[in-house]
Amino acid sequence: MAKNNRGRKEDLSWAVRKDGRALWTINANPRSSVYGESLRRFSGVEYRRWDPSRSKLGAAMIRTKRNPALLLPYEGDTILYLGAGHGTSVSHLHDHLCGQDNHQGGRLVCVDLAPRCLRDLTHLADSRPGLIPVLGDARKFSAWGVLMPRKVRWLFQDVSQAGQVEIFIKAANRFLADDGIGLLSLKAASERWTGDDEAQVFANVATALEQAGLTVEESIDLAGFEDNHMLFEGRKEENS
Amino acid sequence: MWLWYDWRAAAVADDNGNIVDEEIWDGHYPEHAIIERLQIIAKGGMISEAKVLAERFPEATVLLHGEEKLPDADWPFPDDEAQASADAAAISMSKLGVAMAAGDPDKRLEYLVRASDEMRTAHLTMEARLVEWVVLFLPDARFGADRSALGKTVSESDDLQMLAKKLDAELPPVGPSKSEWKALREFGEGVSTFRGRLDRLENAVRTLATEHLPSNSMLIGPLLAARLCVEAHGRMRFARLPSGTVQVLGAEKAFFNHLKTGAPPPKHGHIFMHPWISRSPKWIRGKISRTLASKISIAAKIDAFEGTPWTEADVELVELRIEEIRKNFPTPQSRLNR
Repeated sequence: MAKNNRGRKEDLSWAVRKDGRALWTINANPRSSVYGESLRRFSGVEYRRWDPSRSKLGAAMIRTKRNPALLLPYEGDTILYLGAGHGTSVSHLHDHLCGQDNHQGGRLVCVDLAPRCLRDLTHLADSRPGLIPVLGDARKFSAWGVLMPRKVRWLFQDVSQAGQVEIFIKAANRFLADDGIGLLSLKAASERWTGDDEAQVFANVATALEQAGLTVEESIDLAGFEDNHMLFEGRKEENS
Repeated sequence: MWLWYDWRAAAVADDNGNIVDEEIWDGHYPEHAIIERLQIIAKGGMISEAKVLAERFPEATVLLHGEEKLPDADWPFPDDEAQASADAAAISMSKLGVAMAAGDPDKRLEYLVRASDEMRTAHLTMEARLVEWVVLFLPDARFGADRSALGKTVSESDDLQMLAKKLDAELPPVGPSKSEWKALREFGEGVSTFRGRLDRLENAVRTLATEHLPSNSMLIGPLLAARLCVEAHGRMRFARLPSGTVQVLGAEKAFFNHLKTGAPPPKHGHIFMHPWISRSPKWIRGKISRTLASKISIAAKIDAFEGTPWTEADVELVELRIEEIRKNFPTPQSRLNR
């Protein structure tokens, strides 16, 4: 694949398209915008613009040095999203995973602790079947873990709280299938201050992930979109 | 032997992962029943199917689905239809949880305190503007301590003449035009309604804080207690803060400046508003802040864990301690002699 494909259109999945430096997803709920993003038609199909400065996953897909499609889950799969926030990334993931009226048959379980965020997510869930918002603590698996009968092949975590790496490792052990992909969005400032500089903090995290049986495929610096953030892409090793 | 269960079914497997027995909830999965089951599980309880099997196989280790120790087995996972019902129930449960957030006194207190802050800022700005405005037309009017009644006085006057009479001032040679006076009077009306709204907001804060934080309200007054609790992000977190943090809550800027540049640390944050500190001489404010902050964090723990609230007698003990500090340090101490 050509690097610096500025101005080149490219389909990353059935629903996600990269147009120059912008990402677009087919709108699963036509004629409505979720967080004020722009809508546009490409050959008769309505797309929503995926704003990378509002979504860390979107930022990572633009910043990655590999094929951005590698960061996406399989369509129609079941995935787990910890720390769903107001549903920016979640809505685009839903476009890709489920599509309109969930014709792909996907299941997107998203967990967040804040009632304020859940309010937005439950609104979103009303018009987007396949999206399952859960009000709960990302650390307390037993409260909502029964909703995940089988392990998933794709896991995303963005909780911005101390101990997020430990939560991620535990969640990966519990929910991630072998060879599944776990994405951890890490804010350096959220980790406990150890006197190390940022690069050291990120290096420590990578080591911790490797020790826990996750091969770090890529660590993507989100600078420019989300400062002091790094997105780690870990692949779960088999028999770990 | 292992006993596995989720929200719908329970099963027993031997150590080789062969299913020995299973109990599956048969039904059309009514939503309220699923919610009930999910709530039982969230609280760490067992569903009825699991209880039946636990009686049948008392030697089996009971573990919820997902526990690491459980061996791999052909557990009776929910089929698509059952899973869809569970998903629908989970969404309803989330909606319920969001609705329940309205009952959270911490959230309610936060809105009240923030709203009264904004109302106060708006009121003070408008009041200052009104005073300047009136003084422009009536240069020799004197209000003294009666500034707060000015809004009412202005709104009750029909024209500048009447206002001048009420304020005992002389009429200027040039006055406001008719429309200008009308605007001024309505502005005065606004100031006095804001005053009333502010009072009602603060009363609401007082009522809720006295209920939610009884000990701290007794110790430092409901308004200050409410502010500290909001600043600490909720009663439970307030109770867990060390008293050193309670002491500088609200002085974050000075505190982080201290960490960054080594400037002297702040002695007090919001608790400075308390007369024990603000009305004490400078050289003992730090000492009193420390004492008071430690008492506040004790009271916060009593509030959060709903112990017996403090009474006036308890507060008097604290006051005695403060008096003692005042008595022990009647004059500033020289830094050289320390």
